[in-house]
Amino acid sequence: MKINPEYKDGIQLDAYREIKCLQELRHPNIVQLNSVFTTKDQTISLVLEHLPLGDLEELWKNKDILYQAPDVKAWALMLSQAVWFCHANHILHRDIKGSNVLIAADGTAKLADFGLARKFADPGRAMTFLVITRFYRPPELLYEATHYSAKVDIWSTACVIAELCLRDWFLPSDTDAGQLSIVTETFGTPTEESWPGVSKLSKYVAPENSNKTRGRPMSWWRERLRLLGEDGVDMVRGMLRLDPKKRFNADEVLNHRYWTNEPKPSRAEELMLRIEMGKAEKRKREDERKRGGAEVESGRADKVARKLDFGSMRK
Amino acid sequence: MKFTEDDIYRLSSQYKNWSFTPSQLAATRLQTNIQATEHIKATIARQRAARALKADPEGISESERAGSSLDNGNATANGSGVSSGSGTPLRADKEVDCLTAAEEKKLVDIFCEKALELGKFLNFPIEVTATGIQFLRRFYLLNSPMTYFPQTISRSAMFIAAKCEDHRITAERYAESLPNTTPESILAPEYLITQALRFNFDVKHPFRGLKGGHLELMEMARGNAPAPPKSSASGPPRSASTLEQEMRRLPPPRKPHGAASNLSTASLEKRITDAYTHASHLLKTSALLTDVYLLYTPSHIWLAAHLLADDPLTTFYLGTKTPPATPLYAKILTTIRSCADMLAAHSSSSSSTRSAPHADPDPDPDEIPRLMKKLRNCRDPDRIDLVKLQEGKKRDALATAEQGADGAVRLEESKAKRRKVAREGFQKEADEFWGPALEAGKGEGEDEEGAGWDGKMEGGERGVEDKLVRQVAMRRDGG
Repeated sequence: MKINPEYKDGIQLDAYREIKCLQELRHPNIVQLNSVFTTKDQTISLVLEHLPLGDLEELWKNKDILYQAPDVKAWALMLSQAVWFCHANHILHRDIKGSNVLIAADGTAKLADFGLARKFADPGRAMTFLVITRFYRPPELLYEATHYSAKVDIWSTACVIAELCLRDWFLPSDTDAGQLSIVTETFGTPTEESWPGVSKLSKYVAPENSNKTRGRPMSWWRERLRLLGEDGVDMVRGMLRLDPKKRFNADEVLNHRYWTNEPKPSRAEELMLRIEMGKAEKRKREDERKRGGAEVESGRADKVARKLDFGSMRK
Repeated sequence: MKFTEDDIYRLSSQYKNWSFTPSQLAATRLQTNIQATEHIKATIARQRAARALKADPEGISESERAGSSLDNGNATANGSGVSSGSGTPLRADKEVDCLTAAEEKKLVDIFCEKALELGKFLNFPIEVTATGIQFLRRFYLLNSPMTYFPQTISRSAMFIAAKCEDHRITAERYAESLPNTTPESILAPEYLITQALRFNFDVKHPFRGLKGGHLELMEMARGNAPAPPKSSASGPPRSASTLEQEMRRLPPPRKPHGAASNLSTASLEKRITDAYTHASHLLKTSALLTDVYLLYTPSHIWLAAHLLADDPLTTFYLGTKTPPATPLYAKILTTIRSCADMLAAHSSSSSSTRSAPHADPDPDPDEIPRLMKKLRNCRDPDRIDLVKLQEGKKRDALATAEQGADGAVRLEESKAKRRKVAREGFQKEADEFWGPALEAGKGEGEDEEGAGWDGKMEGGERGVEDKLVRQVAMRRDGG
């Protein structure tokens, strides 16, 4: 990884954030910073752990990789532990998403990209709301709150887990406004009763009675997140409560019965095998496609065959 | 696995890289001082020798020396910004008088105080200033003020601290608010400082700990104390109301052996708040300007400050965490007391603390100018103008990079040429054997490739077919 010095204020902020956080965080589910050095041309290079098996987003997008409920649980657990560890160190990640959870050669998932991370702010000091990739942005940030807590990361984590189950985006949208509407559609419109203090946030507009949505019924959740099972759905819903005060914190997530009830999460080796098998499958098919394509496209394939036959006959 | 705050602290870079015992700290400083002194003496001697060589045959006068020394590399780029007004450090007739380790530390202390003022002037939150000051102290553990001028470094370190603590300010605005400063002079030592800090940008402060302790004491005073940790040594844990009662009867703040009072809730709360205010002031001054960050943990530091503010209250608080009869308690208290002594010994605390009997007498008012003057005369001539140095480095890097790029291009070209020759060779061979390529093949626009394997075909091995077809397919994908 290399950091570009094209920035008039010296070393960029995200470089500082990344280095600062990774220097303090040593955890099996967080990408490890092995060393930092500067080169002669004044760039800072970070030596990060090698994580060759892609990321969680690639994982659910690659339909050749087949996985089951225990596998989802394993990945979800590794991610939740990483998030817990960040929060225990008073660090907000602020950009949790599938493509930032990388997978090591042994199948372990590791949280990476701390370019937006920061220490918890002191109460009363404003933070920017322009963080977290849109699909994973919690409602308080969509309402442009400048005081928020570690709960923003919990929301994003739940989104990643849901995506793993759906093998699709969980809450996709094109604009920030669209994001807000898909959130209210899914979870119901927040009101002062369901979320005390929400009306004070700058972008909150009190809903008209006719526009109020009540959120998706339980059956919708069970249907869509079948891989999580009853317990998993309960946990994810706890992580996706609109009011950040009612939302689970990282401790509550890890103490949820989902982790201890059946099925047990898969071991890392099993995950690795699944990924490797999926990738091998994909490679094989691509090879076939290429080969097939070559024969059809060129019209020269039969020429090759002919010549070869000829050659072998000659022998 | 139970993961405690202690475990987290032990994982931090502050604990791993920036915590010392007093003797380690002194040794590190001495080492730095010796190295810098040797280096500077050597550099100056070299320059003198070079100048003497030049000067002797032509008999250059004293006034022309400045000019000639410019030719000896970028050595005495004098007069720009930081070194303005200093007499030329190159007096051939005098042995360089370098600072001692103790003088260096004193200078760093002075500049830390200046940095604190700077932070106030810029309206930085205290965390930013505090981080900046610690950066400065850490920097001068391994670098000498003789090598790098403290004012330049402190301004830049404060800027880095602002970035690290998410306090946004542009280099331009930052430089504007300071006299004689350009964005370049702020940014020039940035790499240097980040390297010296070993890229550890996280400083753990005692401010939040103090705040937490304060809130906890307030709750205790109101009778809402959480259950203290279970311990067999102290018998059954005391209840919240017992704690509240005990707290009211504590002896007054600064007379640990004075008569026990019995305070009302309101005056108890006032007492706790007073202690907090006092301790907080100490953390924002003495704690930053002494070595406590390098010697103690943040919890030690805030407890020490609190101890200075209100001894009985603090020991009472400690007693609710660890039973006073245990050796652990005694050990903790000893450490905290030694830390408190260090805080109390600093001059900034003497004005506000009545209980600071061993505070230093005010430093000699002449000492600061004397040290500054001495510093001017023993600065590393190679590192006076950091902006120029930085530009030079950038230029070098650029030149190397360009060369590298040129080389790469040339390599690519020669490779391409070789490939083309090879291809043409195959084509020729193939044509001789098979006659010209078929028209159908030409339509695809890949004759050369086709000819390539046509040529190889002569071997006529079985099984080659598959391989070749794949090769073609891959080439096609690539193109």
